[in-house]
Amino acid sequence: MNSALTRYRVMATVVGVLLIVLCLIGVPLANFDGSGMWGIFPSTPAWFPVGSTAHEVGELITSYLGVAHGWLYMIFLLTAFQLSRRAAWDLPFTIVTLICGTIPVVSFWAEHRATARVRAERATAVPTSART
Amino acid sequence: MPELLAPRYWAVHLLALVLTAAAGVLGFWQYDAWNARRDAEAVDLTRVAPEPLSALMGPDDPFPGTKIGQPVVLGGTWVPDGTVYVSGREHEGRKGYWVVTPLAIPGPTDPALPVVRGWVADPAEAPHAPTGAAEFVGWLQPSEGSRTADDDRTDDVLPQLRVADVIQHVDQDLYGAYAVVADDVAPGAWPVGPTATNDGTGGLARPGLEQLPEVSTFTAVRNLLYAVEWWIFGLFAAFIWWRWTQDVRAAERAPEAAEAEPVPSDP
Repeated sequence: MNSALTRYRVMATVVGVLLIVLCLIGVPLANFDGSGMWGIFPSTPAWFPVGSTAHEVGELITSYLGVAHGWLYMIFLLTAFQLSRRAAWDLPFTIVTLICGTIPVVSFWAEHRATARVRAERATAVPTSART
Repeated sequence: MPELLAPRYWAVHLLALVLTAAAGVLGFWQYDAWNARRDAEAVDLTRVAPEPLSALMGPDDPFPGTKIGQPVVLGGTWVPDGTVYVSGREHEGRKGYWVVTPLAIPGPTDPALPVVRGWVADPAEAPHAPTGAAEFVGWLQPSEGSRTADDDRTDDVLPQLRVADVIQHVDQDLYGAYAVVADDVAPGAWPVGPTATNDGTGGLARPGLEQLPEVSTFTAVRNLLYAVEWWIFGLFAAFIWWRWTQDVRAAERAPEAAEAEPVPSDP
C-alpha cells in the first residue's frame, strides 16, 4: 500500500507540474499569436507573434513536453488505478481522482485528497486489526 | 435482471461510453491533422506566391532544397537552338517526350535555365521553338539524377533532364535547376497562361510535375503520437469500466455466498 501510494504521489506531482508548464506557459506562448487556435477559437490575443523567442519557446514546450506529458500521464493513470484497487476506492472517487489529474492546478488538489483518504483509512484500520 | 443493468448504474455505463467515444474521436482528430499536415507539406509549394528566380538562386548556386516546386517568375530570352527532348515521359498513359528550351536570363548570352514547355508524343510533331523575349511563371525543379547515361550525344534527345547533359546543347552556363511552365498559381497579377508573354506552350500538351517535396517521417509526428495516446486513453477508460463491472458482479455474488455459509462464530 505504501509503495503504491508513493508511486501515485510521485507520478501525480510530475504530471501536475508538467501540466502547468504545458498548459499555462507553453500553450499561451505557442498559440497566442493573433491567429486562430486549434481550429476551435477564431482568434487569439496577439501577445507572442510568430518568430519571436517567446513563440519559439512555446513551440518547443508544446512539441516535446506535450507528447512526453501524454505518455507520462498514462503511467500516472496506471499508478492511480493500482492505488484505487489496493485502497478499494469506490468508482466515483476513482474517476474523480483520475480525471482531476488532467486539469492544471486541480491535479494537486486531487492528489492531496487521495493521499488524505488513504492515510485516514490506514489510521482507522490499524486499531481494528490490533484488536483481532 | 442482472445487477449491472439496474437504472442506478446507467450513468456509469453512459460515462464509460462517452469517455471511450470522446477519446476515439479526439484520436481521429489528431490522426486527420497528421494526414492533413503531411499532404500540405507535400504539395502546397506549387500554389504559394511566385518569387523572382534571383531571390532563390543564382546561376552558380546549388538548388535550394526546400524550394522544390516553388513558382518562380522568369523573364529572359529563349535559346531555341538549345531545345532538347527528354524521352520516357508519360502523358495520359502515353509515352512521349518533354520539350525543353533553355531561357537565357535575362539577355541571350546570360546563364540559362532549361524550361519544360510541354509534352509531345513524337519530337517531329513539336512546334518550332519560341524565339525572343519571354516572361512567365514556372515551377522550379532540381536537375534530375544521373542513373541513366545519354547513350547518343549527337542527337537532341536526352534520357532525363540533367543539367550536365543539356549544357552540351547551349553555348552559355546553365542554372543547376530547371522549370516547368506553370498554368495554375496563387491568385494575383502573375504572368500565367493568357497573361504570360511568349511562354512557348502553344501546340504542346501540359507536362506533369515530376518532383514534389518529400515529406519527412517526422512531419507532424506529434499529431500521430497524440492520436495513439488518445486511443490508449479510450482503451483505458473501457478497461476501468470492465474492472468495475467485475467488482459489481463479485459483490452481487458475495452476499449469496455469505448466506450459504454456516455461521460458526455464533454459539
